[in-house]
Amino acid sequence: MTVLEATGIRKRFGGVVALSNGNLTCTAGRITGLLGANGCGKSTISKIIVGVYSADDGDVKYQGKSVRFRNPDEARSEGIAMVYQNLSLVGDLTVWQNIVLGNEERKGLFLNNRAARDLSRSILENLLPGMDIERMVFDLSPGEMQIVEIAKALAARPKLLILDEPTSALEKTEVRSLMRYMHELADSGVAITFTSHRLWEVMEICDDVTIFRNGENVGTIDFAKEGKHQDQLVQLITGTSNKEKFVKACSTSRCEESLFSVRGLCYGNILRDISIDLKRGEILGIGGLAGQGQQELLLALAGAYRGASCDAEVNHSPVRLTSPGNAIAENILLVPGDREQEGLFPQHSVFNNLVFPKAGLKGQPLFTPRKRRTEECERAIEALSIKTSDLDAPVNTLSGGNQQKVIVGKWLSFDTKVLLLADPAKGVDVGAKRDLYAYIARQVKEREMGVVLYASDNGELIEYCDRVLIMYEGQIVACLEGDDINEDKIIAASMRLI
Amino acid sequence: MGSTIAGARGATLKKYLARPELSVLIILVVMLVTAAALQDNFFQSRSIVRNINAFAPLILLTMGQAVVIISGGIDLSTGSALSLLTCVLTSVMKHDNGVTGVYAIAIALVVAAAIGIVNGIGIGYLRIPPVIVTFATSFIWLGAALFLRPTPGGESVPWFKWFYDVGALPDAPGAAKWISSILPPALWLIIIGVVFWAFLRRTKAGRYFYAVGSNNDSAFESGINTARVQMYACMANSVFLLLAALFFVGQNQSGDARMGDPLTLKAIAAVVVGGIALSGGRGSVYFAIAGALILSLVNKIIFFANIPYAYQTLVGGVIVIAAIASSQAYTLYRRRGALRLKGR
Repeated sequence: MTVLEATGIRKRFGGVVALSNGNLTCTAGRITGLLGANGCGKSTISKIIVGVYSADDGDVKYQGKSVRFRNPDEARSEGIAMVYQNLSLVGDLTVWQNIVLGNEERKGLFLNNRAARDLSRSILENLLPGMDIERMVFDLSPGEMQIVEIAKALAARPKLLILDEPTSALEKTEVRSLMRYMHELADSGVAITFTSHRLWEVMEICDDVTIFRNGENVGTIDFAKEGKHQDQLVQLITGTSNKEKFVKACSTSRCEESLFSVRGLCYGNILRDISIDLKRGEILGIGGLAGQGQQELLLALAGAYRGASCDAEVNHSPVRLTSPGNAIAENILLVPGDREQEGLFPQHSVFNNLVFPKAGLKGQPLFTPRKRRTEECERAIEALSIKTSDLDAPVNTLSGGNQQKVIVGKWLSFDTKVLLLADPAKGVDVGAKRDLYAYIARQVKEREMGVVLYASDNGELIEYCDRVLIMYEGQIVACLEGDDINEDKIIAASMRLI
Repeated sequence: MGSTIAGARGATLKKYLARPELSVLIILVVMLVTAAALQDNFFQSRSIVRNINAFAPLILLTMGQAVVIISGGIDLSTGSALSLLTCVLTSVMKHDNGVTGVYAIAIALVVAAAIGIVNGIGIGYLRIPPVIVTFATSFIWLGAALFLRPTPGGESVPWFKWFYDVGALPDAPGAAKWISSILPPALWLIIIGVVFWAFLRRTKAGRYFYAVGSNNDSAFESGINTARVQMYACMANSVFLLLAALFFVGQNQSGDARMGDPLTLKAIAAVVVGGIALSGGRGSVYFAIAGALILSLVNKIIFFANIPYAYQTLVGGVIVIAAIASSQAYTLYRRRGALRLKGR
């Protein structure tokens, strides 16, 4: 039974056409995948359905009736719930308070907290067994927050559930339990749409996929009838059949000269006696289960932890990694994982974000003509093919992939020796991801720098890294090289099976 | 088995130790001990009653301010709003006509509601930064108060003494006098405030104050009318303002357009000392009372410590900073002790 049918949806924002001809059909009991590059219109059509945006043209039929919701609240009361890419949680309330937020049951004048706790417990039992519902949300990991967000959508008992990149913050085991639960929901007759940049997730869980490119849907594939072909999907998403294989930066024989070495790095019980030896021209991967200290390792290397202790050398001369300023002065540069919080000044212009790191450096002239800065920015924009209307556009108006490029771009005018990348491709689509890594590889080659790359997606480690270190509870437990870098070995090492 | 139970108990204790509120209580105890050591008769009932009377207006204002700050606002107009209410009360009342007291309270109630609504519209619906809105309205309240009462004065009905000192009323029943000698009216007003908040906290509005203050956008996306919630917070503040005004008029039997001015920033400081985040969403209104007590005791300690008059204000400021800094340091210390892997 068709629950929702959207046809010929059009939407423009200012001069930009976000959606020129969007069509989407959702069927009860089926999981529909939405695929496409960043900014292809798949988020826009979801938001139009739930009433965040209003369509310029087109028709949305829900349960056989034409509808046009004015806000998400109206949609929710009709049984359409959406899980947003940016979470709608409140940090200072507990898990169960968040799950019922906006939908609290009352007993007389007062809140019915017992019913709310019971409801939260029954939903989370399936999604994340053993979760303490009394914890404050600001205390949770990104993965746990995402699951609470999903639980919140489910608390409204929707007939149509729209999941917009729910898995980008989750680790694999969490993704599995979410998938299991999605299947259960679908079996109970809920229609689900699912957006993700990870193709394997979509291929594994969805019954059919709708692919968007440049604001139109370019294809709908029913997996049961047409089979699952990854190449076909990639081709539809990017519009080209690019099967060029990434050539790793260096064969192990060439990378011998030590560039950056760290001995005995300790920080509380988070990082325990870590030693790293990064060679010139090498991409060194950091892997492992989520939250084993990988992010913290990169932050420590970038000098963000004053309490961390280690002996570090760059080009065989000792350096102190006691403040970010020190690290930057040594040209050890960080691209942080949390774009909005750590990497950008979201409301500021592209220009400001690109030139800002320079402003804090010692030995900079008091005034620099804006013209020179503008030239630097334009160079960065061209080199990384950042898509922006102009330099003065606030950086948070750019798409996720382009924001990430701005973060990389701000280091472009530095004489980078060591580049620390914390999950740079998180929330970035297939095409942009390929651009980004190709660019980084080119830079590694040209500048003879070294890269430490933490990626939550093992595929990136396998494809791009010369060596992979696996972390477990703040320690490095394995070092994989050459042919040993494969999915099986990484997972085995992550779980300490080898 | 025994060790696991002990472990679990240790964990709960640790959890309580890690609460930022605990540092507020520790500071309060330190202040009380110091004050008691300096002042011989600190624990005599007459002295306690006097202290409660001296602290009551600030405590009430601090509670109201705490509600506004938790919901993501701040109110720079509380002091002048309080002044305005005392002027309204004393302008309506006639000394020899008891009924006018009832009219005065009714009219003050309307004025208090209006004060809350105006601030609420500015903060919530018009989305003007709260500091700006309430800074501006503070002059409106002050102007109105000066219009009603250019110089301190006015009349009050005798039974307003009920709000301050029942013993001073010749015709009050003996039982009431007896109770008020133990639990003075000022304490009753504070208890009314506490009960009012205890009620609010269990309603949707109370939950939403925290949600909106913590993250306005998320609250909005969850279907909460955030503007209305902020307006409710301002109106809740007005309830505390009215209680404070009743006390003040009961005490002085007159109104004063400038009496509230010094209380505004004191109340905000007390909220911070009470462990409530100025950024909103975090903290407890009950601990705001502790914050107000700490701030009031600071003055008391300085007075009894024989510090030369010229330095009293300066020392007071230093003590307040020390109190806030030590509470922050404590929280940080406990947090670091509980430092865990980020991803867990």
